[in-house]
This record gives sequence, structure tokens and C-alpha cells, in this order.
Amino acid sequence: MIWRDGFFRVWQRNFFYFRKTWSVSLFWIVLEPLMYLGAIGYGLGSFVNNMEGQSFVDFYFPGLLCSTAMMVSFFEGTYSNYTKLTYQKLYSIIMIAPLNPDEIVYGELLWSTTKGLLGVIGVALVSFFFGLVDSWRILPALLVLLLTSWLFSCAAMVMISYAKNYDSFIFATSGLIVPMSLISGTYFPIETLPTAMKIVAYALPLSHSIHSVRMILSDSVNWTLGLHLGYLIIVSLVLMKWSVRRITARLYS
Amino acid sequence: MSELSAVVQIKNVVKKYDDRTALNGISFEIRKGECFGLLGPNGAGKSTTMKLMYGSARLTSGEMYILGLNVKKNEREIKSRIGVVPQDDGLDVDLTVQENLLIFANYHRIDRKVAYDRTLTLIRMMKLEDYQDRPVEVLSGGLRRRLAIARGLINNPEILFLDEPTAGLDPQSRLFVWDFFQRLKEEKSTIVMTTHYMEEAERICDRIAIIDQGRILDLDSPDALIRKHVGKEVVEFECSPQDSSYYTGRLTAAGFAFQVMHRSVSVLIGHNQESRQVMGLVASDRIVIRKATLNDVFLKLAGHHLRDQS
Repeated sequence: MIWRDGFFRVWQRNFFYFRKTWSVSLFWIVLEPLMYLGAIGYGLGSFVNNMEGQSFVDFYFPGLLCSTAMMVSFFEGTYSNYTKLTYQKLYSIIMIAPLNPDEIVYGELLWSTTKGLLGVIGVALVSFFFGLVDSWRILPALLVLLLTSWLFSCAAMVMISYAKNYDSFIFATSGLIVPMSLISGTYFPIETLPTAMKIVAYALPLSHSIHSVRMILSDSVNWTLGLHLGYLIIVSLVLMKWSVRRITARLYS
Repeated sequence: MSELSAVVQIKNVVKKYDDRTALNGISFEIRKGECFGLLGPNGAGKSTTMKLMYGSARLTSGEMYILGLNVKKNEREIKSRIGVVPQDDGLDVDLTVQENLLIFANYHRIDRKVAYDRTLTLIRMMKLEDYQDRPVEVLSGGLRRRLAIARGLINNPEILFLDEPTAGLDPQSRLFVWDFFQRLKEEKSTIVMTTHYMEEAERICDRIAIIDQGRILDLDSPDALIRKHVGKEVVEFECSPQDSSYYTGRLTAAGFAFQVMHRSVSVLIGHNQESRQVMGLVASDRIVIRKATLNDVFLKLAGHHLRDQS
């Protein structure tokens, strides 16, 4: 009997490599969100008096955390995994050992999720010194961010199973990821959007992450949190199953 | 599976891809402790056969048993007991030589301490000591192949599968690999390899299956294949295409078999024939008598491909 713990071993390989380069890797991951925090949160935000009863930077912070989770796990899940799948053929090599393709996929998903979460924790730690993190409520918020990282890791895995080359990820980033971060309530409330845009925003998963994290951090949790989380979980599960099916078919050539 | 001596049993295996049939009903057995070669032109089905055996592709129909285990049901156990050196080395370029082995040992669920010692043994065996802590990126093709072979041996496999183990290597590296195979053979390891180097197959393999267009054309020891399909020796001569048809007419009349490749004609000398006779039939100043080789067998059985290519 060979345990189906292969996903953990795939995760271990990535963690092993990450340990060698973690300081540099995390520095660059955390730097970009912090620049946004400075320029948008504090810079532009200083001209805004009141956002739904909060300062702009307090309003913006949950959006920043969610976008970070999304960006980091999506990038890790696309560029790095696509390279392993195609140019390096690492997945085909792992398959030589007693590991099935689904274990490889789960391991990689777990890793890009981990990396997304590490990015978020990095940003949260630095923000702590700005006084943006001042309550235990960051802990339940991190669970939502974990879910967000998982969701976008799965989305990335589906992407790479269809991608023909690296350009696909550029299109996905400028055509989907960045626009999503603009209309999902990161910088302004979704309610101010025209109705058609509002529907689009709510169909996309990021808005539900941001809503959830904002609810938790501003201590205004209500029953709708369950709906938001349920939506995130369902989308993640669908994307995960989809990616497993695609990658498995591809690896058993 | 009663026959313990057969470590691989393949029965009527068919493998179809969306648009083509890669294997069209092949059957053979590989015995314990032998070096078995799959020989064939590009696209003949060698790699497909290998992938099916080591569990990276699935059968369309037929039966396949590795170490007595059904590939359809016991894929994971089979994988834990075999070693594979694929055609693309597929080394992890982010890691060093030793780390590559350690990470792979972890995929095999080998205990950390055991794995560490095993990597050192393999690094020594493949003469990679000087590169142990170097990133894979800086290794030459020959060193990479050695590392890939070491990786294939990490779990002490009962069968080692090698897909084109010396393709693209320089002569020294190739000799190193051949020498290493000799040592494995002395230890009675079972080796299954594909190749399109005739010399390699003749030198290393105990038995060879010649495969073309998804079918096994013949299977036997190199010597037996040569005796059966070619005879005892070959007379080879060069001539212009015009003369060629004249000579081949005379050769046919005298009952000789021959193969024409461009300007070169190889006359296959059967067991009750004499090379001297050919000398009398052909007037060419470029004529030699040589030992029959696997190359002649290959050209005879699967030569059409080579002609197509050139």
C-alpha cells in the first residue's frame, strides 16, 4: 500500500526550494502591495474624507490583502507551473515515481496557495507597523485569504492546462486579473457601479473575498458572510476538479 | 502469473491516440536478468511501449504485467519497484545534483537517512562527486544523463527502463554509459532500453525486438537475428546507379539477396553461399567483405523508413 500523500511531497519540493530563496522571494512579493498601500492607501487616500464610515486606508486595506492573495497565487500557479508542465517536463518525471497526476496537481495547488498566504502574511506584518492591523480579527480574515489563494491557484492551474505559451498569462493578467481587482470593491464600493457592472463584479470571485475580509476586519459580520464564503468554496471546487481532469489527461499521453 | 522468470509480459497490446495507432497488437516477454532492447526507426512505437510499461501512458487494449502485476490495477506498486530514465532527462534545474536525488527519493517515500546515504553511493557510482553540490544548470549533457540514470536507480529498482539512454551524448559519455550497463548486467539486473544505435544494441542487449509501425517484426538475440536475416557476412560495393541495375540483375540470377542504399549495394551472403562468387559478378574497385551486423538486419526489416528519410 502506497499512501496517497504524494501531494505533500510535491509541496515539500517547492518549500525546499523556497527556503533557499525565501528572503528575496518574499521581499519582491511584499514590495508591490506596499507600494500600492503607500501610493493609493495613504497618498490618494489622504484626499478622501470618509468611506462608508471608515478612513480610506482602512477601507482599502482588505482589498489590498485580497488582491495580494490573488496576484501571488495566480502568478505562482501560472508561470512557475506552466514551466514545470511544459519546458522542464517535471510533472512527467514526478509521475515516474509512485505519484498520480492528481497528487501532483493537489501538491502544486497547495504550494501556490501557501505562497499566496505567505505574501498576505508578509503584507499584514508590515502593515502592523502602520497600525492597520490592530485586532485578533486578522486571524479569521487570514482564513478567507487562504480560501482566496486556493481559488486563484485553481484558476491558474486551469489556465495552464489550456495555455499555448506564456503570452496567455499576460492576456489573462491584463484582461481578467487586473480588471477584476479594479471593479471588485478594492478602491471603491461596488454599490457605486452601474447595474450591469455590478452584476459582473458579483459574478467574479474577488468581490466576495473583499466583502468577506472587509466585514471581518471592520467587525460588521452578518449572515451574508456565509453566502460569500459559500460562493468562493463552490467556485474553487469546480476549478479544482476541472484542473485535475485537464492535467491528468495531459500527463497520461 | 506463474512464470516468475518473465518480469514483463505483454499480450496483444494496442495503443491508439486520437488520430493514429501507435501500437498495433504487440506481444512479448522480458526475462529476469536480461538486457532487452527495443529497436526501431523514429515513430515506430518504441517510446510508447516504454511509457506503457512504466505507467506514463495507458493501454487502449490488451494485457500487460510488470513483475507479475497488472498495469491496469497496480500502477503505483509497479512504479515503486522499477526505475526509469526517460528520453528527456527532466532534471530539476532549480536544484543541485544531490538535491535532485534527494527530492526524488522523497517521491519514492524513502526514509530520509537511507535516502541520503543512497544518494552518496549513486553519486560515487556515476562519478559525479565533483558536482554533488553544483546546480544542474551547469552540467554538460553527459553529466546530466548520468544524473538521470542515478535518479532512476534511487529506489533500487528490479527493472531499469531507459529510453534512448545515449542519444545526443559525445563518444566518451556514451562509453561511460555502456560500461555502466556492463556492470549492471554483471549484477544480473534487468534492463529494458530503446535505441536506434545498432552498435549499442548489438553490444549490450541479450535480446532485441525490432519494432516498426507499431508491430514487432522479429525478436531474438543479436546473433540469431543476424544469422536468420542476413547470413554469415556481407559484401558491400559502390557503383553508379546505371551499373547498379546491371549488377543487381546478375546477383538475382545467381541467387543472392541484396539491399540497395543510394550508390551502395550490400549483398547478404547466406550460409551455403560464398563471398568469392560475388567478386566474380561485380567489377567495382570499392568492394569490401565485412561481418554481417544488426544494421543489415535492421535495414532489411525496417529499411523503408531510412530510405524515406534520405
